[in-house]
Amino acid sequence: MGGLLQNIKLPGDDIPWLEGLREKGRCVFAGKGLPTAKTEAWKYTRPRDLQADDFVLETTAGHECHCGSNCDCEKTCGEGSVMPFEAYELHFENGKLQHEHLHLPQGVTVMPLMDAILQNEDIRGRLGKSFDLQDYPFAALNTAYLEEGVFINIQENISPDKPLAIINHTHARHDNLLFNLRNVIVLEKNSRATIVEAYIYSGAEKSRYFANVVNEIYIGRGAEVRHYKLQNDAYKAVHISLNAVKVKAGGNYEAFCLQRGADLARNETHVVLAEEKARAKVDAAYHIAGWATVDTTTDIEHLAPETTSEQLVKGVAGGNARGVFQGKIHIAPHAVKTEGNQLHKALLLTDEAEIDCKPELEIFADDVKCSHGAASGELDEEQLFYMRARGIGEDEARRILIDAYLEDVINRIEEPAVRDWIAEQARQK
Amino acid sequence: MKTPILEIEDLCARVADKEIIKGFSLTINEGEVHAIMGPNGAGKSTLSYVLCGKPGYEVTSGKILFKGKNLLRMTPEERAREGMFLIMQYPVDIPGVPVTTFLKHAVNAVRKHQNLPELDTMEFIKLVREEGKKLGISNDMLKRPVNVGFSGGEKKRLETLQMAILKPRFAILDEADSGLDIDAMKVVADGVNAERNEHNALLVITHYQRLLNYIVPDFVHVFADGHIVKSGGKELATELEETGYAQFVKEK
Amino acid sequence: MAKENNKPEIIDESGDKYKYGFVTDIAADTAPRGLSEDIIRLISAKKGEPEWLLERRLKAFEFWKTMSEPSWAKLTYDKINYQDLYYYSAPKQKAAPKSLEEVDPELLETYAKLGIPLKEQEALAGVVAVDAVFDSVSVATTYRAKLAEKGIIFCSISEAVKNHPELVQKYLGSVVPYTDNFFACLNSAVFTDGSFVYIPKGVKCPMELSTYFRINAKNTGQFERTLIIADEDSYVSYLEGCTAPQRDENQLHAAIVEIVILKNAEVKYSTVQNWYPGDKDGKGGVYNFVTKRAACRGENSKVSWTQVETGSAVTWKYPSCILQGDNSSGEFYSVAITNNRQQADTGTKMIHIGKNTTSKIISKGISAGRSNQTYRGLVKVSPGAGNARNYSQCDSLLIGDACGSHTVPYIENRNKTARLEHEATTSKISDEQLFYCLQRGIGAEEAVSLIVNGFCKEVMQHLPLEFAIEAAKLINISLEGSVG
Repeated sequence: MGGLLQNIKLPGDDIPWLEGLREKGRCVFAGKGLPTAKTEAWKYTRPRDLQADDFVLETTAGHECHCGSNCDCEKTCGEGSVMPFEAYELHFENGKLQHEHLHLPQGVTVMPLMDAILQNEDIRGRLGKSFDLQDYPFAALNTAYLEEGVFINIQENISPDKPLAIINHTHARHDNLLFNLRNVIVLEKNSRATIVEAYIYSGAEKSRYFANVVNEIYIGRGAEVRHYKLQNDAYKAVHISLNAVKVKAGGNYEAFCLQRGADLARNETHVVLAEEKARAKVDAAYHIAGWATVDTTTDIEHLAPETTSEQLVKGVAGGNARGVFQGKIHIAPHAVKTEGNQLHKALLLTDEAEIDCKPELEIFADDVKCSHGAASGELDEEQLFYMRARGIGEDEARRILIDAYLEDVINRIEEPAVRDWIAEQARQK
Repeated sequence: MKTPILEIEDLCARVADKEIIKGFSLTINEGEVHAIMGPNGAGKSTLSYVLCGKPGYEVTSGKILFKGKNLLRMTPEERAREGMFLIMQYPVDIPGVPVTTFLKHAVNAVRKHQNLPELDTMEFIKLVREEGKKLGISNDMLKRPVNVGFSGGEKKRLETLQMAILKPRFAILDEADSGLDIDAMKVVADGVNAERNEHNALLVITHYQRLLNYIVPDFVHVFADGHIVKSGGKELATELEETGYAQFVKEK
Repeated sequence: MAKENNKPEIIDESGDKYKYGFVTDIAADTAPRGLSEDIIRLISAKKGEPEWLLERRLKAFEFWKTMSEPSWAKLTYDKINYQDLYYYSAPKQKAAPKSLEEVDPELLETYAKLGIPLKEQEALAGVVAVDAVFDSVSVATTYRAKLAEKGIIFCSISEAVKNHPELVQKYLGSVVPYTDNFFACLNSAVFTDGSFVYIPKGVKCPMELSTYFRINAKNTGQFERTLIIADEDSYVSYLEGCTAPQRDENQLHAAIVEIVILKNAEVKYSTVQNWYPGDKDGKGGVYNFVTKRAACRGENSKVSWTQVETGSAVTWKYPSCILQGDNSSGEFYSVAITNNRQQADTGTKMIHIGKNTTSKIISKGISAGRSNQTYRGLVKVSPGAGNARNYSQCDSLLIGDACGSHTVPYIENRNKTARLEHEATTSKISDEQLFYCLQRGIGAEEAVSLIVNGFCKEVMQHLPLEFAIEAAKLINISLEGSVG
């Protein structure tokens, strides 16, 4: 047991560049520490109590089930598939990749991150190259523990027939597990892939753990990634993710993230549209209650002409929950004929819930079209009354209206099977 | 001998590296009304933008004389001040700028160019109201921002009003009938006809013949693939209405 | 103070465009450079202040020494050496003037150049009552007699301290406490003069009240302090204009405006800020760090801020509304124009505390040249602010490809019955709009000016008429040379 930064032995510590990278992560995290009230990027989401917690880290590979008797391990740990749609499934149990044999199509490589580090020269030019450690304290922490995760590579012109699903399953345990995942996803020229990421738990709801995830996604010229994520961690859990995405000319990054669980969660997406005509669509939804603070942060950098981005984020906050949205559109000098649009809408269900929102435009080029919008309010009383007057009970009416509220953003998911699954997950529990 | 207003000789022009006008020649004299008819996508609007000097429309060869002067040397506003006027197919919105303010700036810029004294506010308002009345434009509409929230018909009326006030020597009507019902079209046609005299000239660009029932042309030209493929009198318009443009469009 | 020519100090191509850039040749009574307890005691003594005010000043100074300059704004400027400034500069006069006749004629000449012919206005049976602050001292307040008939107090803050201590003591610092921020704290320690307005119960002020600020002396910080109190059921419209001469070095301006609005009262506050912006290379110009805040304390109270910001090298300013009383409302209408190397970080805060409070924000930013501009705003709804409503609209227009435009709104909602809407756009003048104007014979520069004025219209219509005309002219002057 110990604090967030512990001195543990990691595999591959004899590889100088890898150890150097980890050391850099340790230094940055130790130097900067956790974000404070003065850290503008974390203005509304303060992970302060993490400092006091004791964490357990596991470094030896292998699965050790800590589940209690009521764990539905059979379903998730076994060979069977978890997702309600066809997918190539990768299973992580308590932060450890389960070695299963996948029958992957030609041109698609999936391997544990450590294997890639040992075997693949290319990874060195990718790992940690999509973001600046100084800007992301938790990604620095993640770097200090670089070990777990997967490396996915899709070769030129290849499009796998099914989505690749990364399923992170955490079992109830009595200690505070901290696990760090790093996935590196590379799409070569004109390739296409759908990546699904799911965070689920089983066992006692009260289990406390901390999932600290970094996805580095490199999208080549004309390539396309659809990245769909569900965060439904246990209600005492902490979930912090950084998606660092680089898009080359004509490439397209399309993302959707639904957040439902955790006590403190942040899904941060930083997209760099590095070359002409690169595109991004970064949508999200959250539906939260209890005492959760759930944060959706986006930062889209338009560095080249004719790049476009759009974002629709919708949220529902009940109980004492707090929904946070921070969105930034940055347009660099000379990135002309760009378009960036962003909209955040939120629904407050109770007097105790709170919505904090900071949309931001930072524009250094003149021939651009940018907009952002934000709105928050409560359920429409007129609509509620109308439904009740037609005989629908109040709770039922609310449920229908809340589901409908999130429907338009969910409908923007291009893949029907994923869309149905997300829609199901978004519904009132 | 008639005096030419506009002389176009072997004009070639392109937009974004695409050749649209290919060897177009036409002379228009004072007092004449010419109609250019052609299938959609033939480059009719491009022609009108080239004549007005819209940025992005590049003349690659050929020449244009406007009242004997080299038109291609002039900026768009110089062309306008010399008397070139384009009734636009889709006039743009200018939020916050009332019609009267806009028109006053325009009329005085033109007058200054002609060495005429600028109109003061009273004279100007009187002029606009009089001309507006003829076109069924209310004082209320004059106070609204240029084209913002105007219906298709209102926009065209406003264009016609500007023409009546700026008194151009050469006006181009670019698909002036698009989006108009028959009554609105008549109002526009009457307005345009009222401005006709022996010193000015008119170029009507249209896909359909119906507008030409109200503004009767002296000459009709069929425009296809970037140049004139056939010319004739007003009867050519009626003929086209029956036969269509298919005969002029190259098999692809 | 050294003898100076009655001419602009800098005359160059761009410098000529700042038409208020003249220095008035008046012997000034200036305290030594630098800031210390002694200087504060000196200011207080010069002004013959009571002990309680001196104590407040010293308390603020003690606190200020523990504070650091804010760095969160998107502004970069050379570090200010607070010990290198003069904190007090008063035009030398025998005694306080009792009427305009006694005011130094040269000073009056200065105001005429600024477009405030005090005498003429008085002769014209006046629409506007003017209080003019020259460097640090309030010079003349017109129409005082006429206003006094209605019980309206309009005077310099120094006079108010002497003649209405109960009002000043009660309200001064009650909206902006000295602990509020670095610049407000500095002002609380060293403020020299400013305007004071009190509108009694049930009185609608019959004319617009107006203050003109001008920085004249070299290296002077101007720290004026304005306090407006609108008692129950009263109304006042207040105008503020600012100019400064052209100087090579930067001048500091750190003012505080506090407005207290009681039940059913309404205050309209309009500013046209035209401090010297520096030359085209960013040399010189005023640092404008201003704290303006209105407290709507009573039910149904209302405040509206309208600002046209065209001047200053650096602007840091967020006129705010604390909507405490139930059904109170706050409005913020802003046009900010930056050109050349100007920087502005400006916006508003709307703090909803009472029930059924409403606020509206309309902000129009125009960036040209190599300037940078940020809209920064906060809309905060407290748990008790049931049925609060906010509508915000922030539009930015960019002219040229070397400028920057940023929008940073913070929206915090803690009440489910509140409804908040925010919209922002950034664009340039469209080629279509420009072409349409050109096609009708309007030249490019004139077309841009037309389109920009149209873009700002929603804000400009909230200014009193004569101010609106002046502001429209200023916008055109500010944008000169920005169309390539």
